[in-house]
Amino acid sequence: MAGVSSGSAQYIYACTRMRVRKSLLIPREDYLRMLNMSLPEITRFIGETTYRSEIDELGTSFSGINLVEVALSWNLAKEYQSILELVPGDLKHFTASYLRRWDIQNVVTVLRGKMQKLQPGKIKEVLVPAGRLDRVVLDRLVAEESPERVAEALKGERFYPVIERELPRAMETGSFAHLENELYKGYYARLIADAKAGVKGGDIFLKYIQLEIDIRNIQNLFRLRAGHVREDFRELMIGGGSFTVDELQRLSGLESQDEFIDALKRQVKMIPLLNALEEIRGKTALHEIEVALTRVQLDQMERMSKRYAFSILPILVYLEKKKYEVANLRALARGKEAGLPGERLQGYLVM
Amino acid sequence: MALRDIKPTRSELINIKRRIKLSERGYNILKMKRDGLILEFFKVLQQAKDSRGALLERYERAMEMIALAETVEGAIGVKAAAFSTADAPAISLKSKNIMGVVVPEIDASSVRKGVLDRGYGMLGTSAVIDETAEAFEDLLEAIIEAAEIETTMKRLLDEIESTKRRVNALEFKVIPELSEARDFIKMRLDEMEREELFRLKKIKARST
Repeated sequence: MAGVSSGSAQYIYACTRMRVRKSLLIPREDYLRMLNMSLPEITRFIGETTYRSEIDELGTSFSGINLVEVALSWNLAKEYQSILELVPGDLKHFTASYLRRWDIQNVVTVLRGKMQKLQPGKIKEVLVPAGRLDRVVLDRLVAEESPERVAEALKGERFYPVIERELPRAMETGSFAHLENELYKGYYARLIADAKAGVKGGDIFLKYIQLEIDIRNIQNLFRLRAGHVREDFRELMIGGGSFTVDELQRLSGLESQDEFIDALKRQVKMIPLLNALEEIRGKTALHEIEVALTRVQLDQMERMSKRYAFSILPILVYLEKKKYEVANLRALARGKEAGLPGERLQGYLVM
Repeated sequence: MALRDIKPTRSELINIKRRIKLSERGYNILKMKRDGLILEFFKVLQQAKDSRGALLERYERAMEMIALAETVEGAIGVKAAAFSTADAPAISLKSKNIMGVVVPEIDASSVRKGVLDRGYGMLGTSAVIDETAEAFEDLLEAIIEAAEIETTMKRLLDEIESTKRRVNALEFKVIPELSEARDFIKMRLDEMEREELFRLKKIKARST
């Protein structure tokens, strides 16, 4: 319990701030109320919460659903950046490492946009500067002429070696899928390395990373099974979780969904995950399976953050909860716009 | 064909009789072709109805899935995933012959892709993107199938229409006009024969 016993005033300060921020997140009851609102009502509701400044700022440039979506993304990016400034010492290091996934997402999007010769404005529209690479750096990347120049501009970044290694293949095949997968695998490997580097609280961080890797691997196994992928997909699995990559490959070979779930259950010890797997048995839609597993991840994370109250976990819980708040609000707005019924929409909310 | 332009000669009569025979044969063949085309058309019509139904169903599913993807991933997530499409489906056009009507045969490649071939990474996207991509691949396949069937149907309809026009023209214009001309020539030839006979009788009466 390295995180708990740290006793550092800074840790306590940062974790308390996170707890306060978490308490300001939109509660479940409000989501349920919003399920019965129209899109303008939802926009007004969002405008009265912490998203007010973004809604006001962007109100002249966007309207309707686009206003909601862009305001949510801007708020998320701003919030993450402010947390990076707020957290001290080792926590900052872990938080920055954790947020690098946004850098990967942004860099891959810029590379793809450049490959497809898209207008810089179009690429900028889909970037969310919530990681270490801020808006200025991303604007500079977007202004580069080609994917190779983008890669060069990233020299010195943690993931540059992977880009340098994989970019020629991506350019040759025209597909960045392998590069993207390698970047994410590198990201998780780096997170594990950071957690094991002997920094205080690293063991707790490692537990959470392993949980996330396990959930991600299980979700991907379901996806691969649904896509009838039977070949060797070990390179698509993230190492470092409770399952070895070989075990995951073996599990995927099982013919029926029931057998697969039973085999998974035999290897899983976490009760909420066992329950979720049982619940999944009757589901056929992949996104429903994914949402069910994500809920387990968040619940488990929350539980761990309570056990290790002054560690990296309260911060990660807040980051994830904030991400899902944004996702939920976006889902509500988009769902209302598409005319999805409330009950159905509720199924996609992570509350 | 105005009757006054017709030369009432035997050779013209033979010629017209030959044309009537030819027209009647053409008429019968065209009528059979028209009936055959109509039968073919009804077969294609059933296929077109089925393909249109499937197309609508798949369109609705694709629209539902894109709405769902935008709900779950946001327009930003969907657009970012859409950037990864590396190659556009290729379409090759061949042709086949249905009772003399040249109709297209559309072959499409790389419409349906595996989850690993769509160009986006497995680790940075979610399952809803897979399901949406699959729904749109289904829709594209249905569009290509419907395009083939509906073009075939349109070509068959055009051909039926033109065949029907030819059959009607033969039945109600060409053959009746030729028959009229034949009757006219026959009548004129008979008349000329009678005149000739009368003239001969007159000459004979004058000479005796």
